[in-house]
Amino acid sequence: MSAERYNRQLILKGFGEEAQQQLLKAKVLVIGAGGLGCPALQYLAAAGIGHIGIVDDDTISLSNLHRQILFTTADIGKLKVEVAAKRLQEMNTQIGIIRHPIRLQQNNILDIISRYDYILDGTDNFESRYLINDACALLNKPLIFAAVAGFEGQLAIFNVPDHLTPSTNYRDLFPIPPDKGEIPNCAENGVIGVLPGIIGSMAAAEIIKLVAKIGQPLTNKILNYNLLTQEQYTINISNGSDYTLPRTVDEFLNMEYQDTSEGPQGYVEIDASELVKLQQTESTILIDVRERHEVPLLDKQIYTQVPMSEFSAFLSKEFYQKHVVLICQHGIRSVAAAEALQEKYGAAKKIYSLKGGIVKWRDHFLRS
Amino acid sequence: MIASSQIKNKNIQMEIEIISFGQIAEFIEHQKIDISGITDTETFKQYIENQFPALKGMKYKLALNKNIVQENTAIKNPATIAIMPPFSGG
Repeated sequence: MSAERYNRQLILKGFGEEAQQQLLKAKVLVIGAGGLGCPALQYLAAAGIGHIGIVDDDTISLSNLHRQILFTTADIGKLKVEVAAKRLQEMNTQIGIIRHPIRLQQNNILDIISRYDYILDGTDNFESRYLINDACALLNKPLIFAAVAGFEGQLAIFNVPDHLTPSTNYRDLFPIPPDKGEIPNCAENGVIGVLPGIIGSMAAAEIIKLVAKIGQPLTNKILNYNLLTQEQYTINISNGSDYTLPRTVDEFLNMEYQDTSEGPQGYVEIDASELVKLQQTESTILIDVRERHEVPLLDKQIYTQVPMSEFSAFLSKEFYQKHVVLICQHGIRSVAAAEALQEKYGAAKKIYSLKGGIVKWRDHFLRS
Repeated sequence: MIASSQIKNKNIQMEIEIISFGQIAEFIEHQKIDISGITDTETFKQYIENQFPALKGMKYKLALNKNIVQENTAIKNPATIAIMPPFSGG
C-alpha cells in the first residue's frame, strides 16, 4: 500500500490505517457504469477499494456524456466497461479492476455477485433492480440501492441487519414492480447530469462507511434527496409481509423478471415509413402519449394528445377510428399504451406503436 | 384573543402534514390538512386516493412520522405522512 497515495485519509481522525486496510481487502461490484456508476466508481477506486468489478453490456453514446463523467467524446461507440476500467486503472494502479461486459440475468447473476462483498445497484430499469434485489437477498449480500428520477434521488442499504431491525430489502418498500410505462425512466423523462453525480457519490460514501465501519450508514433506511431544494428526508424501513422472495436457487431461477405480459402480442411495432402509410389510411388516429410539457411539440391537428397520466380516463371512453397509432419519445410508453388498448379492444381495432419513438425518427417529425 | 382561540382549535383538530416525492409531488403538493375523521393510515389512504385519483393506479409507499407503513397504523396528532413512489433511473 502506498502511504502517500492515501495520506489524506490515513491522517484523518476516525479513519486511518486500519480503515484503509479494510478498503484494500474489500470487493465491490458496481452494476451499471452509467450516471450513478461513473462517479461511484471514481471515488471507490480513488479511495483504494482493492477489488472493483464493473458490470455493463452497453456502449457509450453522445447523450450519455452529460452525466457519465468517466467517458469522453472520443469514447463514443466503445464498451463502457472497457473505457471505465482503463480510466480507473490509470487513476489507481494499485487496485484490481474486473470487467464484466455482460447483462446480468437469472442464469449468471448469482455466480457473479457471489464473488463480491458489496453490491451497488446503479442500473436504470425495474427489471434489473428486482433481479439484483432478489439475488442479493438470496445470497445475503449487502446491497447499496441508488436511483434517480427528475430532480430527486433515492439511496438505501439492504440486507444488512442493525440493532433494531433484521435486514430489509427493496420488496419491503415496493413488493412488486410497477407496470411498464407507469414510471418514466431517464431516457424517457430526462435527468440533470449532476443529480446522479451526487447520488452516485453518496452511494460510494455509504460503501466506504460500511467497509471501514464508520458513522451510521443508511442501513434499513431510505434517503430521499431533492436537488432543487437541497432537502433530504430519511425514512426507516421495516419488514413487510405482503411479498414472496425466492428462498432457494431453484425458486430464484423460476421467478419471472421480464415483462409479465403473456401471450402473442396483439399490437404491431412500426417504423416511420409505415407511419406515413397509416397516416394516409382511412379511419386512423395518431396518439401522442407523452406528457403535455414534453418536446418537440407535435402538430395537434395530426396527433391527438393523450398523456399516459390521463390514459386510464381515455380508456373508459370510446372512439370510432379503426387504426390506432401510439407515439412517445422512445417507443417505451407507447408499447404500454398499445398493450392497454389491445386488452380492451382485442381484434376490434388495429393497434400500432412507433418503435424507437420520436427520438429515433426525429428527422421525420421535424420535416412534417 | 382571536389568535389564542385559533390555537385551541388547531389542538382539537387532527392535523396531518403531507410530503410527497417524485412524480407524486407533481400533483400532491406539500400541505397540511385538518381532517378529524382520519384516525389511521388505511382511512388516510382512502382519503388521499379520493382526493387525487391519479394515485390509485400507481405504486407508492406511505411513511408515518418517518416510519414505513406496513400495516394499518393509528395516526396521532400531529403527524407527518410521506408518499413515496419507486425510482428506477440511473
